[in-house]
Amino acid sequence: MPETDVMPELSLASAAGLTGSGKPLSVTRLRKTYGGVTAVDEVSMEIAAGEFVTFLGSSGSGKTTTLMMIAGFCEPDSGSVVVGGRDVTRLAPQKRGLGFVFQQYLLFPHMTVWENVAFPLQLRGVSKAEQRRRVGETLEMAGLSAMARRRPRELSGGQQQRVALCRALVYRPPVILMDEPLGALDKKLRDQLQNEIKRIQQELGLTVIYVTHDQEEALVLSDRIAVMRDGRIDQFDTPQELFERPRTPFVADFLGAANFLPGHVEQRTSGHTLVRLDTGGVVKARPQAGTEGARVRAAVQPGRLALCPPDDGFCTGTVETVTYVGTLVRVTVRPLGGAATELVRLELPAGRAPDLGERVGLTADPANVSVFPDTEHGG
Amino acid sequence: MAGTALAPTPAPAAPAPAPGKRGLGRALSDRRTRFGLLNATPVVVYLLILFVYPIFSTLMLSLKGEEGGFTLQWYTDAFQGANLEILLTTLRISAETSLLALVVGFVLASAISRLKPLWAGLAMLVVVVPHFISALVRTYGWIILLGDNGVVNNALTDMHVPGAPVQLLYNEIGVVIGTTAVMLPYTVLLLFAVMKGIDRRLLAAAASMGAGRITIFRRVYVPLVAPGLVNAGVLCFILCLGYYLTPALMGGEKQTMVASLIDEQVMKQNQWNGASALGIILLLLTFAGLLLLRLLKSAGEALRNRGTAS
Repeated sequence: MPETDVMPELSLASAAGLTGSGKPLSVTRLRKTYGGVTAVDEVSMEIAAGEFVTFLGSSGSGKTTTLMMIAGFCEPDSGSVVVGGRDVTRLAPQKRGLGFVFQQYLLFPHMTVWENVAFPLQLRGVSKAEQRRRVGETLEMAGLSAMARRRPRELSGGQQQRVALCRALVYRPPVILMDEPLGALDKKLRDQLQNEIKRIQQELGLTVIYVTHDQEEALVLSDRIAVMRDGRIDQFDTPQELFERPRTPFVADFLGAANFLPGHVEQRTSGHTLVRLDTGGVVKARPQAGTEGARVRAAVQPGRLALCPPDDGFCTGTVETVTYVGTLVRVTVRPLGGAATELVRLELPAGRAPDLGERVGLTADPANVSVFPDTEHGG
Repeated sequence: MAGTALAPTPAPAAPAPAPGKRGLGRALSDRRTRFGLLNATPVVVYLLILFVYPIFSTLMLSLKGEEGGFTLQWYTDAFQGANLEILLTTLRISAETSLLALVVGFVLASAISRLKPLWAGLAMLVVVVPHFISALVRTYGWIILLGDNGVVNNALTDMHVPGAPVQLLYNEIGVVIGTTAVMLPYTVLLLFAVMKGIDRRLLAAAASMGAGRITIFRRVYVPLVAPGLVNAGVLCFILCLGYYLTPALMGGEKQTMVASLIDEQVMKQNQWNGASALGIILLLLTFAGLLLLRLLKSAGEALRNRGTAS
């Protein structure tokens, strides 16, 4: 048989319909309740080939339960999971042909690194020579060639997780699911592995669903992020969209720790909304919510605020704290006027730090100011 | 030897690993070592009197001729004729019992390890409690169950099973059943401890990459339990070798085991030398079992490493 550049389709992968039409994964109205508590509520999404999608949410948001239902470790009450055009909703995990990377690595302790990675290939009856080639390639790519003969317990956490990653992608599953794979690692290692995961994903064009509660991680890795709360998807968008045009106060707060400035809509035009803040100033925002006169909150990320001379901006206040964080400086400003109580947080380039107690004005690009009805409290 | 070591030697190059006395002297000058030795003394004395001395005198007895003097006669006797047969029977019954106790223990332990903690606790109690009841009582229990007019045979006869009543007592079946029941708590406890320590999510991980139930069992579960299987098997075998009560009560003529033979030689023939030789042989067999355990472990390790090389 002539060797080709293309990986020969493996039995399970082709059974999963890799060759078939359509998206690698679509989830329709998934629902799961645990003793009356709804863990996942009508979650639907479609994921394109080669896409890196993250479920982002705090614990209890339903992100892991959704992942488990896609993997088959947990059966949904209703809804369906379709992998490559094949409905797998009621199939056992081993029949879905997906890859899974666990937070706790879960390498087989009685096998070496090499054997761990070869294991899924052996299950698929891949020939010895082919196994050797592919395990070798995969370990090489992850920089683990020197570790092939070691046991998992002889490796560091970061190395173990890289082996787990190799084991999940060596058989080229149509979708790889990752459940907080970096959760057990320290910050520095996490950053390093994030880059590596991203590199490998892009190099191989892998389709990945990733679960995390770390918004920074989600922003770094993802093509699209599904922000989840209380079992629902609040917003499913690119990181940029989520960051700049959050659809709910929760998204604004969760992703960017937004400042929420209370006020009411003074004027609405097609191009923008003018919000009269309780502190007296008027801020120009994206046209989004609220009829004229309605109580709203204007949301703006700390990094999207800029300083200007006092009284030129939508808000004037005094600088309360200045904290250097590497190349950034975090500034809090106490707004003057009105009964405003909450401090406004800013992130500025380190060179432009104001002095403590200085009177400053605040401005923002209207495109970065969102307006939400003042009914629910974000965060 | 001691003299040379203690003599002030013109120290050559590097201080080589200190020769005996000198190392000991230095070790003794350490307060912690002296304190440790002091603490160990009662145990050492206890073991010397109650363990080393009896074994040593047994050894001497087994090497003493009928009119005094040194002889290996008792050992050659032990490996001849009926005695040899009894030795082989002992090994065979021990092996059969260990195997059965392992299989039943594996099934039981893996079932218990999957139960919720409360139920698992109760199940373990059921497995272990018989161990605290006199083996004599338990053995009579088995005799009642397995006799020609016992519960089992009556049930078989009522169900018109061909060949019923089956002889389940005073033969090898009886001995193996009875001894297995005695050994079961050990295998279940050992295997349960190992199985409890297995991260069940490993099995889920195997499933996630496409392994079916049988493959998961064969390639992941059993290899992870294997060290426990070896330990439990060898322990069981060693315990069976010297086991007396059940084989004596539930076996027939052909199931005489070494322990019974020793009993007979001492009680009926007043033949202490021969009995001593048999005791020493049992002891050596036990050591052999422990050695086998180590060999199996290192063989397993080597096998795995070879698997990696390919």
